[in-house]
Amino acid sequence: MAIPQEAVKQKPSRGISATLERITEMSVDTYYNPYKMFQWPESLPDDQWWMSRELMTVANTRFTEELNESQLKALSKWESIYFYSLNVHGIRELLVEVVARVQTPGYEEESEFFHHFIGEENEHMWFFAKFCWNYGKKIYPNRKLSFSIGETSPEIESFLVFSRILIFEEIVDFFNSRMGRDETLDPIIRQVNSIHHQDESRHIVFGREVVKKLHGYICEHESEDQVRAAEKYVKRYIVASIQSLYNPIVYKDAGIPEPYKMRTELLADPARRDVDRKTLRRTTDYMQKNGIIPKGDIFSELSN
Amino acid sequence: MSSATESIQAVKEWLLAKHPELDDLEPNLDLIENRVIDSLGFMDFVFFLESLVERELDVEAGSVDAFRTLRSIEEKIFQPD
Repeated sequence: MAIPQEAVKQKPSRGISATLERITEMSVDTYYNPYKMFQWPESLPDDQWWMSRELMTVANTRFTEELNESQLKALSKWESIYFYSLNVHGIRELLVEVVARVQTPGYEEESEFFHHFIGEENEHMWFFAKFCWNYGKKIYPNRKLSFSIGETSPEIESFLVFSRILIFEEIVDFFNSRMGRDETLDPIIRQVNSIHHQDESRHIVFGREVVKKLHGYICEHESEDQVRAAEKYVKRYIVASIQSLYNPIVYKDAGIPEPYKMRTELLADPARRDVDRKTLRRTTDYMQKNGIIPKGDIFSELSN
Repeated sequence: MSSATESIQAVKEWLLAKHPELDDLEPNLDLIENRVIDSLGFMDFVFFLESLVERELDVEAGSVDAFRTLRSIEEKIFQPD
């Protein structure tokens, strides 16, 4: 379908670089069939580590000393099922946004890559969901609700959308890249994580490019108040994303008493803050270096 | 479990602590419309409510009205029957 020229003129290109061409070619060259690629075991034993120990939300806290190995392994199982559930819900949200933009005025340059992105993300969602159903017999429900953040221009809205996608992918990739090469984990766990890491590397390259460009665009065309409000939202989104990993329902499923108190304690633990800063460092460094979020500690000024 | 009145007071205090610019919260104030709760703080808020009622709450787009005011929280979450 032809794009109306009038609409194209109204929404000029934001000048996405030749990076798109390179990552689109890589998508074609490295294409695989996920439906044939994995050899799914019938079941996975409970008596094993399901997640790298240093990635569990209790790492570097008293809980690793006080919980026994069986409890920690149970926690690693349910934290991993929850992590893949978060992937399923996060992918659904990003697919909705990208599908809404593909082949629409203003996204002429990106659309070729969007088709690969949509296809790959759909496949990721499938294998994460399959893992959850096969080995956890459930997907943890999505507990994030989206409320309007007030009147914003389509360009600010797009900046927020692609920032959310990038942040989500960067955090997930931190986990995938480590679990994909963790020899203590079952081969299917390693494989799911390493395959996802391979594809996400391209998506992150794209995400960084588009977020930087959109930020530059809104800085030129929107009021300073609107831009600062958007930047503040992105910073809060980063913190909310990392804190969403701490889930009392998961702690309860692992049989740990007082799961809500446990979450409160973990979120207040300075050792966990340090771990979370390290998990987020790649994202925050990039965004701060490019002026997308203000410099300083990501956990400062947390209130609404 | 604490009574509904005590629980709603705890909710009010929790929200006011996060919003030092507010003096009080009326029972019928729309917490979402007035941005006392927003998307980014919602999950945290749900976990806090769950810690008071000691059960998992239904959180779907269709159930959001239960979280909209202190009165609806009291009626639909703390006194659901």
